Amino acid sequence: MTRKGLDGGSFKVLTEESISKVHRTAMQVIEEVGFEVQSDTALELFAGAGAIVDREKHLVRLNESKVKELVDVAPSEIRLCGQDEAHDVILGGRRVYAGTGGTALYVYNPTANQTRLASMEDLRCIAGLVDKLDNIHLFMLPTYPNELPVEQVDVNRFFAGLDNTTKHVMGGVYTLEGVKNVIRMAEIVAGSAQALRQRPLISMIACIISPLRIDKTYGDLLVTIARNGIPVACPAEPLCGATSPVTLAGNLVVQTVDSLMGVMLTQITNPGTPVILGSVATSTDLRNLRYLAGSIEMGLLNAAGAQMAQFYQLPFYATGGMTDSKTLDAQSGYESALTALLCALSGANFIHDAAGLMEFAMTVCYEKYVIDNEMLGMVMRAVDGIKVDDDTLAFDLIKQVGPGGNFVAARHTRRFMRGEHYQPTLSDRDSREDWEAGGRKTTWERAAEKVKELLANRRYSLPDATRQQVFAEIEDIVD
Amino acid sequence: MPEDIIGLIRENVIQGRITKDDEGMDEGMVGKPGVTELVEQALASDLPIQDIVTKGLSGGMEVVGQKFEAGEYFIPDMLASAEAVGVAMEILQPRLARSGIKTKGTIIVATVKDDLHDIGKNIVSILLRGAGYAVKDLGHNIDTQVIVDAVREERPQFLGLSALLTSTMARMADVIQILEENGLRDQVKIIVGGAPVSEEFAKSIGADGYGADGFQAVAVVEALASGTEN
Ligand code: B12
Repeated sequence: MTRKGLDGGSFKVLTEESISKVHRTAMQVIEEVGFEVQSDTALELFAGAGAIVDREKHLVRLNESKVKELVDVAPSEIRLCGQDEAHDVILGGRRVYAGTGGTALYVYNPTANQTRLASMEDLRCIAGLVDKLDNIHLFMLPTYPNELPVEQVDVNRFFAGLDNTTKHVMGGVYTLEGVKNVIRMAEIVAGSAQALRQRPLISMIACIISPLRIDKTYGDLLVTIARNGIPVACPAEPLCGATSPVTLAGNLVVQTVDSLMGVMLTQITNPGTPVILGSVATSTDLRNLRYLAGSIEMGLLNAAGAQMAQFYQLPFYATGGMTDSKTLDAQSGYESALTALLCALSGANFIHDAAGLMEFAMTVCYEKYVIDNEMLGMVMRAVDGIKVDDDTLAFDLIKQVGPGGNFVAARHTRRFMRGEHYQPTLSDRDSREDWEAGGRKTTWERAAEKVKELLANRRYSLPDATRQQVFAEIEDIVD
Repeated sequence: MPEDIIGLIRENVIQGRITKDDEGMDEGMVGKPGVTELVEQALASDLPIQDIVTKGLSGGMEVVGQKFEAGEYFIPDMLASAEAVGVAMEILQPRLARSGIKTKGTIIVATVKDDLHDIGKNIVSILLRGAGYAVKDLGHNIDTQVIVDAVREERPQFLGLSALLTSTMARMADVIQILEENGLRDQVKIIVGGAPVSEEFAKSIGADGYGADGFQAVAVVEALASGTEN
C-alpha cells in the first residue's frame, strides 16, 4: 500500500495570529520597499498590470489589494501528470507528496567512501531507480551532466527523465532555447501540444533571487514558461543571516514576498497558469555562512512556508529530507527524517529534495534514494495519523476478548493490520541472531543490495516510435 | 596617566565597534568611543601610526581570528571587526604613505558572467579585508570584459574569481585567456573558487591558486604574496 496525497496539517508551527503578522509584514515590504525586477519584459508586465514601477531603478511596488487580486487568479490546485496516470499528483490544499531534487554535481559511492562527478548515465539510472521506489512520488532531475556543453543540458536532462520513468518529471532550466526545446520534446511525448497542456508530463523551476529580486535571465525564463502554459515553481531561497534576516520570522517574510512576486508575474503573463509557490529557505552555518541542507531550522521554515501557502490558497513546493553529512551515517538519517517530517506534518504539497541528497545539496547517493524511500514511507504513515471511529476504537472486540485474552487471531486484526501499520522494506527488525547470520548488514549495505537489484531490472523506456520522433525533431540528444 | 588609546582601539576592533553608537559584543558599550573616534584621538595625540596599525588594529584582528578559530566568533562578528579596521585604515591612509608603511596590496574580486551566486565571494572579500588587503568587489554576473578592464585600470596584485555553476565555470578560463591576449596576465595573480571549482580545474585553466573556502582563499593569497606558492 502506497500512501500519497494524504492530508497533512496536524503540525502547526505558526498560530493564526503569526500567519497574519507574516502576511501583513510581507505586504508592507511589497508596498513600501518594493521589489527589483531586472527583466525588462517582466517589468513591463508588472507595469501593465497596474503596479507602481520605477523603470530607472527597476523597482516594482504593489499595494495589498493588487497583490490579492493577482494571487487570486492563480489556481489553488494543480495536477502534475506522469506518463502513467497512476503517478499523477494533485498539489494544493494540505495534500502531501514527496520527490527528488537537484541539481547535484557529485555522486557519492558509500562502498568506496568517495564522490565522483555526475554524468548523463547517472540521470538515467536514478530516474530508473526512482521509478521503482513507491514512496518517491515525483521525479525531479537530480544531477547536472558535467560532460555536456550548457546548450545541450536542458533537453538531455529532461529526455533522461522522460525516457526512464513514468513519474512526473520536474526540473530546473538553464537557457531560453533549452526551455523551448524541452517543451517541444514533451509535446512529442504527450502526443500533441494540446495533450501536454491537458496532461503536463513536465514542469519547470525558475528561481527568484532573495532578497527581493527577479534576475534578468530568470525573469525571462519565468515569463517564457508561463506563456507556454507549462506548470512552474518559482521558489525563493532566503538564507538566514546571508540573504534574509537571521531570524526565522524575518526569513519567512522574505521567502513569502519573493515567491509571491514570482507567482504574480506568471499570472500577469498568462492568467491561470499553473504555478507553485516555493521555498528553499534555510539557515546557514554561522562560522562560514555555508548553506545548510539538514538544519532543524530548515524544517521549521518550510513547515511554516506550507502554512503560508495554505493561507494564500496556493500549491506549495517545500524543501526537506536532505542532510549535510558526507556519508550514510546517523546524522544523514536524523536530518533527513526530521526535516521531511516537519514539512509533511504541516501539509507541504510537494516536498522536494526529499530523497538522495546530501552534503549541502551538492551530492546524491543511489543508496540514499532507497533509504529515503523507507524514511518517506514512515513519514507518510505519520501524515496518515490515527483514525478514530467505532471500528478502530474496537469496543466490541475488546469486550469479546476480555481480560487476559489476545488479539492475534481476531478477524479485526487481519482486517486492519496492513492499513494501520507501515511495513518496512529496508529497516532491520530481525533478532540479533538472524541479523548476525545475515552478515551483520547496516542500513546502507542493505540499500546497496537493493540498488543493484532494482537497476538490474531496469527499465522503462519511451515507446520506440516516440523515441525516434524525438531524435528526429530535437537536436543534440545523446542516447 | 593618559588613557591607553591604542589598547582601546584594539579592544574596540575586537568588539567590532566602528563608532560610538555601535552596540558591540558586550553590554553597555553604546556611547563609548568606537574605532573611528579612537583613531582620531590617537592622531590628535600624535601617537605613532605604526602602533595604531600593528598594536591596535592588527592586534585586535589577531584576537578576533583566535576567537573565530575557537568557535566563539561567527562570520558576522568577523565582518564587524573587519569593517572597523577598514574604516580606520581609510582615516589613516593619507598618513600611511608618508610614514612609509607598506599596505598588503589590492585584490579585485568578482563572480563571473551569468552567475548570480555571491555569498561565497562576499565572504572571501570580508576575510581578505580582515587580513589587511584592500578589496575591490565588482559584484556578481560580471562581464568578462569588465573584469579585464578593471585589471587594466586598477592594476591589482590579485584577482579573485568566483563561479558556483558548472555552466559558468568556463568563464574563468575566458577571463584568463583575454587577460593573456591583452598582455595583462603577468601583472596579476589569479585565484579561483566556488562549489564546482577544484584544484585540478584551477590548474587546467592556468590560475595561480585555488581556495576551497574563505580561509584557504586568504592562505593562498598570503602564500602567493610571499612567493611560497609554486
Ligand atoms: C544559495 C544558492 C543559490 C542562491 C544564490 C543567492 C546568492 N545571493 O548568492 C540562488 C537561489 C539565487 C541560486 C540560484 C541558482 N542556483 Co544555486 N545554490 C545555492 C547554494 C544552495 C549555496 C551557495 C552558497 O551561497 N553557499 C555558501 C557559500 C558561503 O559557499 P560557497 O559559495 O561555496 O563559497 C565558498 C567557497 O566555494 C569559496 N569560494 C567561493 N568563491 C570563491 C572565489 C575565490 C577566488 C576563492 C579563492 C574561493 C571562493 O569560499 C567561499 C567561502 O567559504 C548552492 C549549493 C551549495 N551548497 O553550494 C546552490 C547551487 C550552486 N545552485 C545551483 C543551481 C542549479 C542554481 C540555479 C540554476 C537554480 C535554478 N534552476 O534556477 C540558479 C542559478 C542562478 C544563477 N544564474 O546563478 C546548483 C549548481 C549545479 C551545477 N552543477 O551547476 C547548486 C550546487 C545547488 C544544487 N545542488 O542544485 N542558488
